[in-house]
Amino acid sequence: MRIEKCYFCSGPVYPGHGMMFVRNDCKVFRFCKSKCHKNFKKKRNPRKVRWTKAFRKSSGKELTVDNSFEFEKRRNEPFKYQRELWNKTEGQAAGEGGSHQRGQKEYPPYPGSSCRLKKGKQLEKEEAISEVKKNIHLIRAPHAGKAKMMEDKMVQKLQEDVEMGEDQ
Amino acid sequence: MSRVRVVDNSPLGNTPYHRPAKCIHVYNKTGVGKVGDKILLAIKGQKKKALIIGHKMPGPRMMPRFDSNNVVLIEDNGNPTGTRIKVPVPSSLRRLEGEYSKVLAIAQKFV
Repeated sequence: MRIEKCYFCSGPVYPGHGMMFVRNDCKVFRFCKSKCHKNFKKKRNPRKVRWTKAFRKSSGKELTVDNSFEFEKRRNEPFKYQRELWNKTEGQAAGEGGSHQRGQKEYPPYPGSSCRLKKGKQLEKEEAISEVKKNIHLIRAPHAGKAKMMEDKMVQKLQEDVEMGEDQ
Repeated sequence: MSRVRVVDNSPLGNTPYHRPAKCIHVYNKTGVGKVGDKILLAIKGQKKKALIIGHKMPGPRMMPRFDSNNVVLIEDNGNPTGTRIKVPVPSSLRRLEGEYSKVLAIAQKFV
């Protein structure tokens, strides 16, 4: 199983997704979704369609030359198994972002969410806690901790009496 | 009566004729031929059987769609007439029930 690249938008085509088209000159075109396929049928040039990677690379909005790209290119040659290399790569493959994302901003986990607003949630929580502490008299029953307080006072008094008794 | 493109290197398929090869019958319960179906062709004034190898109509999602209706000439016993198929052939032919092994053997590129 191999994750291909969409011809139009250069996105990943996972197995079971998208469409493949074979032209009469034996060139194979893979599309990740019907949006790309329809644009292709309309004969649009991906280098001029603004949301594709081809446009971003050709108009300099994205890094084109970087060491991390070499790894992608090297996929086509079969690799002889080397144990240490295998172990080393497994550690790095745990999802560290490639350095070619250096020039880009970090995109939010899902559309509509914004990492900028995460701080607001934290501040809200702190505010809520301080508000509750200030207005605890509205929530707590008036006789709430009194029994325990009396007990503690009694215990303290008894201790003082004992000390007084010892001193005398 | 679809016009069809013969894709192997058989002399019957490749010699120029003033009329294109036409499908006159599909050996199928429905009259619609898909990849792996045998059909009857009228070529150069003769009748010849052929095997559909790719079509323009979109099919099951994992099957590629081709730019032309490609066909390979076949004898009655299923042996291909030509010796080579240069056009890409869908690899899902392997999984279809039927004796396509000889056709797959002469194919050079799989998609």
